[in-house]
Amino acid sequence: MLSVSEILTWRLCATVVPNSQSIVHPAGPAAAEIAWLWWIMLIAFTGVFLLVIVLLICGIFGRSGALDRSESGPNESKATWRPWGSNGFIVAGGIVLPVLILTPLYFYSLTTSAGLRMPEEALRIRVAGHMWWWEVRYPGSEVVLANEIYIPVGRPVRLELTSTDVIHSFWVPRLNGKRDMIPGVENSFWIQADEAGIYRGQCGEYCGTQHANMAFEVIALRSEDFNAWMISQTEKTDESEVLAADRGLQVFLSVGCVQCHSIEGTQAAGNAGPDLTHLGSRRMIGGALLPNTRGNLSGWILDPQAIKPGIKMPRTYLDADDLQALVLYLETLQ
Amino acid sequence: MSESPESLDQSLALRKEAFNQTWNEPTGLFGQLATVDNFLIGMRFLVTSFSFFLVAGVFALLMRVQLARAENDFLGPEVYNRLFTMHGTVMMYLFAIPFQEGLAAMLLPWMLGARDLAYPRLTAFSYWIFLFSGLIFFSGFLFDAVADIGWFAYTPLSSPAFAGKGIDFWVVGLGAAEVAGVAAGAELTISILRLRAPGMSLDRMPLYAWAWLVTAVMIVFAFTTLFMATLLLELDHDLGTRFFNDQKGGNHLLWQQLFWFFGHPEVYIIFLPATGVVSVIVCTFSRRIIGYTWIVVAIVVTGFLSFGLWVHHMYTTGLPELSLYFFAGASLMIAIASGVQIFSWIASLWRQRPRLLTPLLFVLGFVFIFVLGGLTGVMVAVVPFDWQVHDTYFLVAHFHYVLIGGAVFPMLAGVYYWLPKFCGRMPSERLGQWSFWLTFVGFNVCFFPMHILGLLGMPRRVYTYPASLGLESLNLVATIGAFVLAAGFLLFVFNVLHAARFGREAAANPWGGDTLEWTLPSPPGFILYPRIPFVSGRHPLWEQETPPIAGESSRRITELLDHRPEHWRATILVDVLTGQPQALVRLAIPSHMPLLAASGVVLVTVATIAKLFLLVPVGVLISVAAIIVWLWPDRKELELQRTSTLPAETGLPIFTIGSRSLGWLGMCVLMAVLGWCVGTLLYTYFYLQLYSKEWPQGDLPMPEPIQAALVFGFVPCAAVACCAAWRGMSRTRRSPGLIGLAAGCFLLVLFLTMHMQLLNRLRFSPQTNAYGSVFFLLNWAMDMVVVIGLGLAASAVIRLWKEGEHWQMFLKLHVQMATHYCYFAAAVAVVIYATLYVSPFVF
Repeated sequence: MLSVSEILTWRLCATVVPNSQSIVHPAGPAAAEIAWLWWIMLIAFTGVFLLVIVLLICGIFGRSGALDRSESGPNESKATWRPWGSNGFIVAGGIVLPVLILTPLYFYSLTTSAGLRMPEEALRIRVAGHMWWWEVRYPGSEVVLANEIYIPVGRPVRLELTSTDVIHSFWVPRLNGKRDMIPGVENSFWIQADEAGIYRGQCGEYCGTQHANMAFEVIALRSEDFNAWMISQTEKTDESEVLAADRGLQVFLSVGCVQCHSIEGTQAAGNAGPDLTHLGSRRMIGGALLPNTRGNLSGWILDPQAIKPGIKMPRTYLDADDLQALVLYLETLQ
Repeated sequence: MSESPESLDQSLALRKEAFNQTWNEPTGLFGQLATVDNFLIGMRFLVTSFSFFLVAGVFALLMRVQLARAENDFLGPEVYNRLFTMHGTVMMYLFAIPFQEGLAAMLLPWMLGARDLAYPRLTAFSYWIFLFSGLIFFSGFLFDAVADIGWFAYTPLSSPAFAGKGIDFWVVGLGAAEVAGVAAGAELTISILRLRAPGMSLDRMPLYAWAWLVTAVMIVFAFTTLFMATLLLELDHDLGTRFFNDQKGGNHLLWQQLFWFFGHPEVYIIFLPATGVVSVIVCTFSRRIIGYTWIVVAIVVTGFLSFGLWVHHMYTTGLPELSLYFFAGASLMIAIASGVQIFSWIASLWRQRPRLLTPLLFVLGFVFIFVLGGLTGVMVAVVPFDWQVHDTYFLVAHFHYVLIGGAVFPMLAGVYYWLPKFCGRMPSERLGQWSFWLTFVGFNVCFFPMHILGLLGMPRRVYTYPASLGLESLNLVATIGAFVLAAGFLLFVFNVLHAARFGREAAANPWGGDTLEWTLPSPPGFILYPRIPFVSGRHPLWEQETPPIAGESSRRITELLDHRPEHWRATILVDVLTGQPQALVRLAIPSHMPLLAASGVVLVTVATIAKLFLLVPVGVLISVAAIIVWLWPDRKELELQRTSTLPAETGLPIFTIGSRSLGWLGMCVLMAVLGWCVGTLLYTYFYLQLYSKEWPQGDLPMPEPIQAALVFGFVPCAAVACCAAWRGMSRTRRSPGLIGLAAGCFLLVLFLTMHMQLLNRLRFSPQTNAYGSVFFLLNWAMDMVVVIGLGLAASAVIRLWKEGEHWQMFLKLHVQMATHYCYFAAAVAVVIYATLYVSPFVF
């Protein structure tokens, strides 16, 4: 059965695109509460708007009263409109109407707000904003991700938000509103997904050149899948695979990648850029900008400035063989 | 003694000629630079700010082209970010407010029946500063140093660590623009309160003046706050202070608090004058205004509440939820004030069958758009909903509905409405209707889809968006709408220029307006109201001459002052409430000093940008010297005033003191501004303390209250000395006043030297941490306050020393001002001392 909000949503925009950041297509309890608030306000305020416009049009085009323009001098300006009547009109429209609408709205928003309080029991995830990518850590484990957050379905997730440089804002529209990430401050926030799926998020506070491409994905897995994923992340990489891609690792270590990036189990321990320990398993690269294909990864390594101009990662000069070896190696980092 | 009619006529003609000569403005290019005429300067404001508007509009079009397609590469991120920064900055600081100020500078003296604004030279100064600040902003393009930090310049993006060189042009240009704004605010406040036609009591004032009265006061406080915020940011850049450095005890939310304390009133500063225009036009077209008192109350309430809303720009920063709901409540309450105004206008128009001419069409368009924008404004004031749509295109849609609908439409309506007054010619009605419909349709096509874009999750300030988000078609529609809107604006410009040149000649009162400006010739020229009108009702032009009852003496005064005084500029100062004439006040004549003073300020700003800090004192000196020359009384004029027979004839004094003199009133505004600057710093101090684990930060020593008490004590002592001087003045002997003031000066100098030593002995500096920064800045603020007091008192001493037998007449005001200012300085000293040297022991 279609709910009211689904019907309205359908009217507003026919379908949810796969990457949707739509506020009116909520996929979690918090976002759903806010979406409800929106629909209620939309209906009430459309009514107010129409009322004002109808009054305005009636007032202008309505039949002129005893005060006909051709005859009346300006001195009769108070002739037909008794002060009490006009006062009543202004009080009714300007004070009573807004109070009648705004008071319940205010209290309704308070209850919405109460519904948005962070649940006590929650999975903790730390997210740090960087210009222009997201660092994701799972306290209690060594898992470090970049630009993607794995969460279990149906379980609230408590986010501890910080920033290492300028102010960013954490925002996954289908799961909850946004919360700023301010250097020197730790803000907490929460999200929860009702269904397994991928939810796109994006920085909500202007943070410099590449603010537009500071995106990420929340990947909601069913509980058992999430646990399996967690175990796979904490497993040590198989030595033999490392050996197979040995040449790639050598390239990685020699051309300067290690200045900024780290890969667990190697000497690479830079911390200015995203941790690449699990790069191979990422869906997207560049801050949810490009699908993680061999071609895109190669292009990114060679000339990131062409794809995301202004970022800190410089161009890398590699010959074809080295590049191939490097990409092959990076793909093994599951 | 009876004169023959001929000689009477002749003397009248001579008087008129002398009067016109006095009020004439200098001509020629060099002379034009000295003009202080409110119409000329107002027109310069309008033309300059509208040019800025067109340029910023082109920026917007470029941005819309970039966003028309997903993943477009028409503009890169650097260019796009600069464009949106400049678009917002120019529209907010260089167009919206200056345009309104220009309109007010022109219209208010006309409407209120005054011969000019209260401080004509300040009007000129304000314009020059505004012009130069605009040029500084734009000159960034020449040096490839354009800010890309957004019009709100959040730290740390705008801090030394992250901002490029464009920030200097932005901060410094903005600082200068704020000075212009504060000057205009001060000017308009006093003018509206004091310089009105006799009989125009507060409750007979046109609603436009009411709107501006509240706005002008808001400008003074809001712009002063912003000035201080930008000053702190600039000091972080140039002096290495730590206000916005989170590693050194600074606080990023401090910037947001200060910025939005200005930023939210700013919206109402733009909106309220526009409602004044709407009220005037509605009144004219419906031949009445219903709910005058309601509208006045709504304006005043809006002004007050607008200072209590700023946190609703900060809902997502993680502040305690309880405080958010306080601000949410205030935000909803302000909707009621707007509702009252809207319903008053509807009531006025109700069944009046007004003619739908261009000005009214724009007003109706305003109501349509503004109501929508107001309703989305209520939505975003609701905390949880704002968490979603904050910084999305929903917000972009909302505030363009409020600002373009709420301010630009009324501005255009106002230009159409007053164009016959400005140039004596009528705009084309057909073109006017076309320009309205293009603007109205274009606007809605452009901005309505943005609501939906926001709901679909499009953040603002993005130079691109992925095709997969499904935002492309709505963005394309918005871009098309933007070009239609631009066509509407261009047609408006064409219509205005065309009308000014070829328009049909306008009747004296083409729309049948009720306000005084329609009694003036069109264009009004330099000589306003040779005979100041007498007002006996709310709609002076609609009311028949009522038999004078209460106003007989006032009316006689206006008759006596017909074309007088002939040899110096003067207008009537009235009682704030009743509009009873109280004094004849002198108005300044043209001078180049405002331009020179503004040039000094520009030198300071340019030196700051170029990091040539040695030139800063030079600029300050030029400005101070120019201001001294500008204010120094003219001997000949003083003699004319002293020998004038007008006080005897009219009963209006010329040499007034206290609240009946423009000098004292102006000083009150200056004290309010300085007091507010100090207040902003005190807020900074306690805000930093609140968020610091230790205070003083970083193991700095506690301040030394006893030594400081000895130093700060000199300021109250100086106030006592000045008080004695002021008391002594009332007797006939000059020496008590002279001695008291000289002692006051001496004590202030003593304070300055001792204070400098006190600061020199400290073992930390403004660069140490945020505590050090705010500690030093508050101390310097104290010095600043004292230096101004010293200037006032020392100049009084010099004049008192040199003045001849009429010292009592000429100098009473000056001594009173110096004394009252010293009281103020003493109060500031006590507050600053208590904060810096006592409060750390208490809290």
